[in-house]
Amino acid sequence: MIRRLVALVALLCLAAPLLADEPPALAEEVAAGRLPPLSQRLPRTPRVVDVERPGWTVGRYGGDLHMLMAKDRDIRMMVVYGYTRLVGYDEQLRLRPDILERVDDDANRVFTLHLRRGHKWSDGQPFTAEDFRYFWEDVANNKDLSPFGLPRALLVDRHGPRFEVLDATTVRYSWDSPNPQFLAALAGANPLFIYRPAHYLKQFHARYVGLAKANAIATAAGSRNWAGYHQKLDEQFRFDNPALPTLEPWINTTPLPTTRFVLVRNPYFHRVDREGRQLPYIDRVIINVTDDKLIPARTGAGSVDLQMRYLRFDNYTFLKQAEARNRYHVYLWEKAIGSQVALYPNQNVDDPVWRKLMRDARFRRALSLGIDRHEINEVVYFGLGEESANTVLPRSELFRPQFRKAYASFDLTAANGLLDALGLTQRNDDGLRLLPDGRPMEIIVDTAGESTEETDVLELVRDSWRKLGIALFPRPSQREVFRKRVFSGKAMMSVWSGLSNAIPTPEMSPSELAPTTQEQLEWPMWGQYYELLGNGGEKPTPPDVQKLVQLYDEWRQARTDDERERVWLAMLAIHADQVYTIGTVTRALQPVVVRDDLRNVPKEGVMSWDPGAYFGMYHVDTFWFDRPEVAKVSKP
Amino acid sequence: MNIQRDLLIPAEAKAEAATLEETQALDPGHFVSTEPFDPGSAAQLPPGQERFYLASQWTLMWWKFKRHRLAVASAIVLLAMYSSTLVTEFLAPYNLHTRHTDFIYAAPQRVHLFHDGRFVGPFVYPQTKSLDMTTLRRVYTPDRSDPRPLRFFCSGDAYRFWGLVPMSFHVVCPPRNGTLFLLGTDRLGRDMLSRILSGARISLTIGLLGIALSFTLGLVIGGLAGYYGGWVDMTVQRMIEIIRSFPELPLWMALSAILPVTWSPVLIYFGITGILALLDWTGLARAVRSKLLALREEDYTTAARLMGAKPSRIISRHLLPGFMSHLIASATLSIPGMILGETALSFLGIGLRPPITSWGVLLNEAQNVNVVALYPWLMLPVLPVIIVILAFNFFGDGLRDAADPYR
Amino acid sequence: MLPYIAKRVLMMIPTLFAISIIVFTIIQLPPGNYLESYIAELEAQGESVDRQKVEFLREYYGLDKPLPEQYLRWAGGMLHGDFGYSFEFNMPVTKVVGDRMLLTMIVSFVTILFTWAIAFPIGIYSATHQYSWGDYGLTFLGFLGIAIPNFMLALVMMYVANVFFGTTIGGLMDPEFIGKPWTWDKVKSVLEHSWIPVIVIGASGTAGMIRRLRANLLDELSKQYVVTARAKGLPPRKVLRKYPLRMALNFFISDIGSLLPHIISGAEITAVVLSLPTTGPMLLNALKSQDMYLAGSFLMFLAFLIVVGVLISDLALVALDPRIRLSGGVAR
Repeated sequence: MIRRLVALVALLCLAAPLLADEPPALAEEVAAGRLPPLSQRLPRTPRVVDVERPGWTVGRYGGDLHMLMAKDRDIRMMVVYGYTRLVGYDEQLRLRPDILERVDDDANRVFTLHLRRGHKWSDGQPFTAEDFRYFWEDVANNKDLSPFGLPRALLVDRHGPRFEVLDATTVRYSWDSPNPQFLAALAGANPLFIYRPAHYLKQFHARYVGLAKANAIATAAGSRNWAGYHQKLDEQFRFDNPALPTLEPWINTTPLPTTRFVLVRNPYFHRVDREGRQLPYIDRVIINVTDDKLIPARTGAGSVDLQMRYLRFDNYTFLKQAEARNRYHVYLWEKAIGSQVALYPNQNVDDPVWRKLMRDARFRRALSLGIDRHEINEVVYFGLGEESANTVLPRSELFRPQFRKAYASFDLTAANGLLDALGLTQRNDDGLRLLPDGRPMEIIVDTAGESTEETDVLELVRDSWRKLGIALFPRPSQREVFRKRVFSGKAMMSVWSGLSNAIPTPEMSPSELAPTTQEQLEWPMWGQYYELLGNGGEKPTPPDVQKLVQLYDEWRQARTDDERERVWLAMLAIHADQVYTIGTVTRALQPVVVRDDLRNVPKEGVMSWDPGAYFGMYHVDTFWFDRPEVAKVSKP
Repeated sequence: MNIQRDLLIPAEAKAEAATLEETQALDPGHFVSTEPFDPGSAAQLPPGQERFYLASQWTLMWWKFKRHRLAVASAIVLLAMYSSTLVTEFLAPYNLHTRHTDFIYAAPQRVHLFHDGRFVGPFVYPQTKSLDMTTLRRVYTPDRSDPRPLRFFCSGDAYRFWGLVPMSFHVVCPPRNGTLFLLGTDRLGRDMLSRILSGARISLTIGLLGIALSFTLGLVIGGLAGYYGGWVDMTVQRMIEIIRSFPELPLWMALSAILPVTWSPVLIYFGITGILALLDWTGLARAVRSKLLALREEDYTTAARLMGAKPSRIISRHLLPGFMSHLIASATLSIPGMILGETALSFLGIGLRPPITSWGVLLNEAQNVNVVALYPWLMLPVLPVIIVILAFNFFGDGLRDAADPYR
Repeated sequence: MLPYIAKRVLMMIPTLFAISIIVFTIIQLPPGNYLESYIAELEAQGESVDRQKVEFLREYYGLDKPLPEQYLRWAGGMLHGDFGYSFEFNMPVTKVVGDRMLLTMIVSFVTILFTWAIAFPIGIYSATHQYSWGDYGLTFLGFLGIAIPNFMLALVMMYVANVFFGTTIGGLMDPEFIGKPWTWDKVKSVLEHSWIPVIVIGASGTAGMIRRLRANLLDELSKQYVVTARAKGLPPRKVLRKYPLRMALNFFISDIGSLLPHIISGAEITAVVLSLPTTGPMLLNALKSQDMYLAGSFLMFLAFLIVVGVLISDLALVALDPRIRLSGGVAR
């Protein structure tokens, strides 16, 4: 034992000059020759990460980062936090090339992607244009692996791109019409993957090993056929195949199912800090899976180094109390959604009387004016949120104060006046207004039944709407039943969170603001019409909604940022005026727990899925532990 | 010759004696009364014993039950709880849904009697709210200089008595412009005492309804199996065995997950009751079956059958009364299981859900670390659950002990 | 006795068959299927789902086939150890479940032992010292054990254990032993963490058993032969030991039939609250997300465990109790 240690130290001393920049966790492997030295592991031009944030410093290697998740499936969060993308958003929400060295974007129609020479997968094999070609020819255009065609983000007017390999590190995608969503899709939290580890997957592909052999391998492993097996192994986002090579900063070494994931550093990661040291600083990430209700308790007991998911605002007091005892800090980040809880009147509801009302802007405005947002803010968010309509957040350049204030005050007189003007003046004995056909105005709001926050807000809204003469009945459901009811028109109103991208820049897609998909709760059928290119759903009739569709198409064809900004502002203005969705309170706070000696985690940040990938845009690979023992050699 | 007659008292000699006196002279130790024969006299009992021997089965049961003090106390407690569900609105200081935005997560207020040494009557100190912005916590400080007496038999929150009659009578109300949170408030500022009282309605009645359902099921199915025997019996036995092989809670979970969530709360309530009852009748059916199998062979059953009585009459009129008391005792002992079952299901989130309020729903809202660490009064609904279950167990025990008074 | 065993084992088969049909029906009843819940959940978390992937999976998993065919595939698979495929984890159920069934059995077994160890002396004491303060006190404690809902107990105990004893919250062992082979340290860690679950789960079972044991023993003690023995002058302890105790033992074995389902279902909900790596939390999740094969297999496993447990207890009873052996049937 002692002899081994001495030998090791001797080896290290001899190799010291070569190991000067090696992460200590890998030093032994490099010295023993099992890993090539750093210069051969990095691409010729690695990406230099230099974050422009006050308090950000270059760090030291070492340490294990502990986190808690609630399901096995959450391992995919490491792909989100790792945020290694062809192009990615930085903290200022600008798109920057990450894996790619350079992107040439010609009018959003022709994208030439330049890879980094010498970039390697986590198992040491080269990452080249071949990996893109494999995806294009052997996966996306393979009838067995993609029976339903190309991914939607690659389609423009149902046409796919023209794909060319220009050389070993350059590929090109060309469309006839602009595809402004292409880069954003590549930078998403759950991104469009247009490359695959070809060298690994080829051994399971019928074209390369023959149909019989591929099927034999697949059935021996328990799958139905080679296509199913290939699909199962090829889950870059699910991150559940430890053998699948990856480009992320940490590699998952634990197969499912498990209650503890161990991720180790990727020796071929392509990023370095400004002193040339290869990232990530942290050696390992340990994720423990436990029941989601226990996560706040365990966090408060000091078992984590970094935690954001599964912590709720009302856990703050508890977490704060245990701060000093358990050596961590609780920060409050801002949740980047348009509204914490928003109501969605369904303009495609079955019932004709309600449909007429839901499509009348005056009705929606009245409902919005009848909500006491101040009370909701006080009761549910401790007064720390911001009362607002469902619109973008102030930190977005597209924000205008009038969007926030539109019909978002609590004005019962005005609301009652609007309802009277609509002719809803008859009331029954209970004081409820009557619909034109004599029924009392009882709005049934469908909820997915999971969030006490929604239940609480609905309770408060119910009381204030009563003063308008409208009764509110929540109808808790299960998620898929909830969605079905909305899509089929049975639900007249539903409740969900607000705009999912509330910090957009003009380059980001305003698809949420126009009826573009069936998933939109306020106009599922109009959205479906657009999604299926007219082969389903209903064509939107109100002129303002048609204008939205038109503006969206304008955005897609736009060539300059000014044009895009103009479109965005126009769409946001229409939304503010028409009150398609009713927002309540926004800018709610999200507790983030950070170990005392974990550096480079911003004290103030934004919790946003897309853009941002939660921690992704804050560069988790640059977080480091400021501990004395970390400076010594640590075993992987 | 005389000596012979003295020593032996042949019957003939007695018979020869013409009068009572002569008989007595013959046998001075033998007393014969001249009174006419009274059949009741032989069995003359002191009044206490007479009552005992002539008492009916139910009276005997009642006496035996009374001896079990704990059971009687439990019965009284249960009676109180169930009758409180009839007049919940009177007893609760607030309405079920009344919110107090300014008193969220308020701790329970204490009722004092003496202020500054003087007797003032039951009163509370008002609370003022302040926000602690470092821990984001609401802090309530009582103002000890201002005693506010409680009002009794007063007019408070309006409600509809049994959904029909608008009233506002309460037994106890908060002081004017004051608050009375005897058990604290929850995250929306709702009074916990009122919520617990309202929850009693749902939780307690689910047990009763469920037991009624499973009792009927058990009786009918067990009765058929026990009486007819043969393949009916075999099928029922197999069925019982299968159902008993299931772990209770997982099966309840599975069945609850099936209830369509679009059902109205009332339907879900009945659905849950049905589910709970569905698994519970087996115990009862078994008991009925085994008792019937035994009693079936009794002579009086045969007699009744020979006299032409229909099976239903035989079962109901002759067999059942023999063990009805056992059945009732068993049924009573199953109620706690049902109440716990509903509480467990609602706690897991697959039973009743808000806006229905039951104790299980209240406990579900208390199921996080915040509550245990910071607002422990939200766990108080567990107390009535414990009390009811204890009471039912003692009560059922007493019934069971009393059920066979002839032992 | 052999024909009796054979008969019992044979009777198990139609029982299990009927159970499997019931389980399958239950799993299929909720509206929607796994894929829809999967999509819905992802979208609720703000993640987008590739429509084509979904269609592909739907076809691959045979969710569009008629129900009887799905049942036959499932049941047939179970017969040779293939419990089907878990959609959630994208792998065979047997691999997903892994250690969990083993841990469930361990926890249940330890709880039963705990229950016996506690109930036995207390039950005997209660029966022999009827109506004493000790009897009342212990009976009351027993009732309390039944009355306190085990999930609340679990929650509070877990928090208390963490604050006062520093035990890690949730789980059956310290995190570093997860997935590692069994060493003494791991066993120690498991035992350290098990006392809360065992107490919580065992509480109500113990109380019930105490009461039943007490009632049974009281019955025995009032029988003629005990009176005779006492009259003969046997010391009280010997009186107790010679016959009534054996009857009590019989009772223990036969009571497994009612104890086992109770413990297993109590274990499920406690496991959910305490987040133990047993079948409980996984079952609840599977039911909520309608991962059909997984949930169904769990239910089948639990039912199978109970059936086998009852069978073993019946057989043990037959071995112990000559009356049953001679009369050729079970009187339970």
